[in-house]
This record gives sequence, structure tokens and C-alpha cells, in this order.
Amino acid sequence: MKPMWKALKRHRYAYLFISPYLILFLVFQLVPTVSTIYYSFTEWNGLRPPRWIGWRNYQLMFRDYMFRDAVRNTFLYWIVGTIGIMTLAMGIALALNTKKLRLKHFFKTATFLPYVCASVAMGLIFRMLFEEHVGLVNEIIALFGGERVPWLASSKYAWFPVVTLFIWRLTPWFTMIILSGLLNISEEYYEAALVDGASTWQRFVHITLPLLGNILFFCFITITVDAWRIFNESYVLSGPGTSNTSLFELMYRSAFTNFRLGYGSALGVVLVVILLALSLIQFVVRRRTGEI
Amino acid sequence: MNYRTKASLFRFGLYAFLWIVVLFCLFPVAWMIIISFKQVGESITGFNALRIHTPTLANYKRLFELIPIWRNLYNSAFTAVVGTATTLFFCSLAGYAFAKYRFPGRNALFYFVVGTMMISTEVGAVPLFVLMRRLGLVNSLWSLIIPRMATAIGIFYLRQYMLDVPDEILDSARIDGCSEFGIYRRIVVPVAKPALASWASITIIARWNDFFWPLLFLRASEKYTLMVSVSMLPVSEGLSTPWQVVLAGTSLVIVPSIILYLFMQLYQQADLVAGAVKG
Repeated sequence: MKPMWKALKRHRYAYLFISPYLILFLVFQLVPTVSTIYYSFTEWNGLRPPRWIGWRNYQLMFRDYMFRDAVRNTFLYWIVGTIGIMTLAMGIALALNTKKLRLKHFFKTATFLPYVCASVAMGLIFRMLFEEHVGLVNEIIALFGGERVPWLASSKYAWFPVVTLFIWRLTPWFTMIILSGLLNISEEYYEAALVDGASTWQRFVHITLPLLGNILFFCFITITVDAWRIFNESYVLSGPGTSNTSLFELMYRSAFTNFRLGYGSALGVVLVVILLALSLIQFVVRRRTGEI
Repeated sequence: MNYRTKASLFRFGLYAFLWIVVLFCLFPVAWMIIISFKQVGESITGFNALRIHTPTLANYKRLFELIPIWRNLYNSAFTAVVGTATTLFFCSLAGYAFAKYRFPGRNALFYFVVGTMMISTEVGAVPLFVLMRRLGLVNSLWSLIIPRMATAIGIFYLRQYMLDVPDEILDSARIDGCSEFGIYRRIVVPVAKPALASWASITIIARWNDFFWPLLFLRASEKYTLMVSVSMLPVSEGLSTPWQVVLAGTSLVIVPSIILYLFMQLYQQADLVAGAVKG
């Protein structure tokens, strides 16, 4: 015990400066996360004390069509969101990185704007834009002779506005990160490639992409976490039933609208497991490819 | 096709692409602001929405009758400002300790901090709500401030920046008899000002835009932040609130963050944060 005490005393300032984070983490993150696991094995409406029911919540979950819908939707948001954001952010970043681009400052400022707009408020606007009869989206479709789509009124299309909003709002942030990565790539690589007669596409594939590897991976992880905890977008743009409910929204609604706190906790546990599994897979992949 | 035409064609495509992106970025916001000045009777179908015959402030007036705006505005501003100030202080303190002190367990603790970034706090929402109720913090703005007074991501970012503070200055201050907290306050904070400013601007907008936690912890309309009040607008008038009024509400939420964004040069600030993610 003694040497430990000595170390604590000697480095007391360092520990003191870090302690607020550790205490807050313990109280507001670790303890709640662990208690979620306990509550997930109980039946509880928030008024009477929780009653232990073993695995019942989980058995219920796998028979619950709402849970299947929520997992399917969130998975869809993850895949479409990742592809959409990565492609757009890469394209915009490359365009902004062009040498001698006029109005560069304006373009950067304007394309970052969506990121500062609250997703809830934008959700309400998207609700109107995607409205079946007065919405602008359908108006444009009709202009080109297409059929009006009942976006948020049908269970078939309700996912689309949600993922559009997700991509619209988050792309600027990742554009920024990729752009800062592009700025770090030394000009010499490209000059050498030009001498060798490499085409624009070859330079992109053989120089830009590999050198951005770590940054792109960072973006991928961040988008993944953001996608699996989508809430605001699907909450504000809710379609019929659970047609576009995200897993996280289902958790909120089960626990705080229907007061099935035990079932809500079980959904929370599933989310933790998914996030942990995804980060583990990513870690293993990177270890195998020798990136760590 | 010779080289010159190819190059100018490329330029044309480049600018066309960028202008289309800008259009998509600005359009929904402009759309919202325009409609918020339209009279309720006028048509908002498709492109008709852009034709305003008699601009009016009636929608904003209606908004003031529907929700306690001043109260909500104060709640939003208070949580954003106090939340940002506290998180800046505690994150920079911890970031400084991780960057500049050598102590047993430093690396392990730091990896731990980074690791916690993967798991979102929201999954513990049920027990957290119970905890807040027990602490008597439901319906209190402090429930939004206290849990996030120090965040992993903030510590991570500020540490990256503080690694560059030269050790020599810190050591010479120590020799001059400066206390450890005095070093933080008089040397580290001034040196790290750009990083603190950029983190502050990003945090303040994120807190202003925060929705999940206020929705969870605040349970009375007087206590709501503006974001929660506005989200409930579509259903708050019995049947349905006219779009003009709803969009007046969202304008009230979004315009301040846009002004703040342009005013704080947030673009450059975000650029700094992005730069901390090294390849």
C-alpha cells in the first residue's frame, strides 16, 4: 500500500486534474451502463420496485416485430449513411482542395453550414419538404412527370427522409476532416506521379486514398457510432408505426412513453453490445492489416 | 480534345458541382426563413412558397402565444453558456495533466478515456433518469450541465494541442515558485487559447442544438429548452399548427446558431479541430 500512497502523493496534481472526469464518468456513465444490464432483467414501470424476470425481456425482444423493424432501419441508416457521407465528403473535400479555386472561403463557409443547424429543427423543415401534397420534393418529381411519393405517410419510403437528413447534416463535418487530411499530403508525391505519367484517377487511387487511410478509418468509426445512435432524425420525421423507427428511438419510446423501463433497458444493452462488437471487429481488422 | 479545352471543361464541372452543393446546403434554411414570413392563408404548395405577397410577423407573434419563448430561450442560453464554460475548464485541466505530467498509469488511463468515446452515454438513459430523479435534478438545467462537465472527446482534443506546449516554460515557472494550478492558469491557458476557442465554439453550438437530454430530463414547458418546445410545435395546438408558425419556431432556433457560426468564424475553428485528428 505504501508505495502506491507515495506515488499518489507525489503526483497528486496530475490525479487531481484528472479526477473530475473520472468521477463524472463513474457516476454518470459507468454506473448507469452497468445498472442498465441489471434493469434489463427486470419488469419495471417506474412506480413499483423492479421485479426480476430473468431473460424474459430478451425473449420478448426477439419475437417483437418492432424490434426487428428498428434493427433493420438502423442497419439501413448505417449502410446508406456511411456510403452517402463518405462519398459526398470525399468529393466536396477534393473539390475544395483544388488549387487556385476562386471563392474558396465562401464555398467552405457555405458547405459547412448544415452542420451548425439543429437536426430537430431541420427535421421539421424536411417534414414539410417531403410532405405528399404540398412538399417541394414531390412538386419537383411531378414537374418531371413522375408519380407523387407518399414519403412519410407510407412504411415503404419513410426511411428515406430520415437518412437524407442524416447525410445532409453530417457530411460537412467529415468534409472538414478529410480536407485537413488532404492538406497534410505532401505535394511531392503528386509531382513524382506526374513525372511517371499517372492519370488523375491513378493518382487518387494510389496516392490520395492510401495516405488518407487513417483519416478515412476515423471517419468510418465516427459515422458508425453516430448512425447506431440516430435519434433526433427519426423522432422528428416519424413515419407510420415503426416503419422508420431507429433502435435508439425504440428504446426511448419503450422506456419513457410506454414506461416499460425493463424492456427499454434491454434494448439499451443490445445497443451497447452492437457498438462494442463493431469496435472490436474494426480493431481486429486493423491489427490483421498491420495498421496498429 | 486538346489539353486547354479539357482543363477548362474540368474547371466548369468543378464550379458547377460546388454551386450545386452550396444550393443543397443553403436551400432548406432559406426556404424555412422565407415561409416563416408568409401569411397563414397563403399557398405554400411547392414553389408557391417562395412568392410572398404580404410579408408578416404574425407567425412569430403566434409563436409567443403558444410557447413561453423568453423562458425557453433563457434556458437554452444558460445551458449552452454554462455547459461550455464548465466543460472547457475541466477538459483542459485533464488534457493538460495527460499531456504534460508523467505519472503512473497515465497511458492506461488515457487509452481508457479514448475507449469510452465508443460507447454513447445515451444507452444508460433509464438508470440516468432514475439517478437524476433521486438527485432532485429532473426539471433542473443542471441535469444537462453536470454529467458533461468533462467529456472524453474534449480531453482528447485539448490534450493533442497541449502536447506542443514546451516543457521548458513550465519548468522555469516551477523554479520561480509558481503553484501547479498557477502554471495551468497563467501559462497553459494563454498558450492553448486557439484550441480552447475552437473547442468552445463547437461545444456551444452542440449544446444549443442538444435535444435528447433536455427531452428526457425536462418535463414541464416552463423548463424546456427552446429545442424541445419547438419540436412539440406541430402538435401543440390541438389539431395541427400551420407550417408557417412551425417554421417561424425553427427559424428562431437556427438563425442564432448561424449568426454565431459566422461571427465566431467557426469554419476555421472546426478546421483546427479536424487538424487534431492526425493521419
